Amino acid sequence: MSIHEVLERVSPNMHIAEGYLPPVHAAAWSVAAAPFVVHGVRALSREVKANPESTLLLGASGAFTFVLSALKLPSVTGSCSHPTGTGLGAILFRPPIMAVLGTITLLFQALLLAHGGLTTLGANVFSMAIVGPWAGFGVYWLLRRFDVPLMVSVFAGAFVADLSTYCVTSVQLALAFPDPGSGVVGALAKFGGIFALTQIPLAVSEGLLTVLVMRLLMQSSKGDLARLGVLSAKKEAVAR
Amino acid sequence: MLPIDAAAHSSRWRRRHPGEKAVLGFGLTALAVCLSPWPGAPLVAAATLAVLLGPAGVAPRQLWRAWRIPLGFCVTGAVPLLFQVGAEGGLVTLAPGGPAAAGQLLLRTSAASLGVLLFAFTTPVSDVLPRLVRAGVPAPVVDVALVMYRISFLLLDSVRRIREAQAARLGLTTRAATWRSLAGLGATAFVRAFDRAARLQSGLAGRGYDGTLRVLVPRTAVSRRFLGATGALLAGLVALTLVLERLLP
Repeated sequence: MSIHEVLERVSPNMHIAEGYLPPVHAAAWSVAAAPFVVHGVRALSREVKANPESTLLLGASGAFTFVLSALKLPSVTGSCSHPTGTGLGAILFRPPIMAVLGTITLLFQALLLAHGGLTTLGANVFSMAIVGPWAGFGVYWLLRRFDVPLMVSVFAGAFVADLSTYCVTSVQLALAFPDPGSGVVGALAKFGGIFALTQIPLAVSEGLLTVLVMRLLMQSSKGDLARLGVLSAKKEAVAR
Repeated sequence: MLPIDAAAHSSRWRRRHPGEKAVLGFGLTALAVCLSPWPGAPLVAAATLAVLLGPAGVAPRQLWRAWRIPLGFCVTGAVPLLFQVGAEGGLVTLAPGGPAAAGQLLLRTSAASLGVLLFAFTTPVSDVLPRLVRAGVPAPVVDVALVMYRISFLLLDSVRRIREAQAARLGLTTRAATWRSLAGLGATAFVRAFDRAARLQSGLAGRGYDGTLRVLVPRTAVSRRFLGATGALLAGLVALTLVLERLLP
């Protein structure tokens, strides 16, 4: 078994585990995540107020995100891990909603799967439910604005969402545990180096999987994709 | 159903008020994080294990299967603390005090994880969610979480069956086939989630659904005796840690 496989097996989702961060850091990341989650809660509450039936669709979307993160993803180097699902989630449901769905998903993962934790929930929400979706959606939106083909944009969005999630996790760990010799920068190189070994191949894998899933959804659920705003009805008509 | 939640549904403490178990479990986690890792974390871990395997009646095997997941992350995360970058001896050298720092981190994290596992193994999520509205969480968010929780198990079951069917049709034999199967799995999960939501919507509409999901929450009283014992345990752990800190090297 290579070191890469060992790392992937012992750190399936890279959520920061319970008690890993010092109390001050855990509190600070919770404070940093709070405005985005509150913004998402307001967006979700507005949506539910305007369309009461959307509770069920949002619940289904969240369940899909939760299940997606439980799929075993074959890495390009041969072993397995799990996708974050944040890229696809952000493209389908938009980042503010993903902040709430991601927070609930992380809470469920902490309580039902022992992945992540409650004291580290704020830090995990910041990396996985805020930075990942916003970065992924930003890249996707930008590429679509320049008329880059949909599947290329989807791949780039999912790749960036996955990688940015783990870059932020590395920063969080580096700030909590600075290197004795070279401080935060050295610690960032250490944590980033270890995570990059697993996460760059996994980000490529997640990008590829997201493209494949999107292709199938284009065939089977065009109506749902149009309702979610992923496919513009006008552009589709032109394409036809 | 997932193993931890299944165990929580059949737990000895299932009928206890979630608030009691939250005070105990999260209190132990808070102590593990806030007290000094030596000797605080081993004391908290020992006390939590005693409660988990004793009064709470959690099966040791189930507990180990859940506990090894955070332990895996902790071991990976502790390794970088053993080394330093850019010191005089070379690009990467052993960090002074690195093993101690890594050991303290492992102690703290493993003890803190046990506290949350104590809550998770004794309290089903379905008991917690409806009570969150009283704790100030907006009702729409709780409703979405409730739907997520209920649909997740159905979806996970569907995904497991589809994966078995794919394997039986040689869908996992080659790398290309595995990718195709996985993509199909993700897309099918999406379609089934939305289909399930649409059917749930039709069913609820026929029952006068107005946008609020009302669920019955079993009435349970908060036990002052339990809370008193929890307070005594937490205070005892703090006192013992402070005393041992002075006595131990």
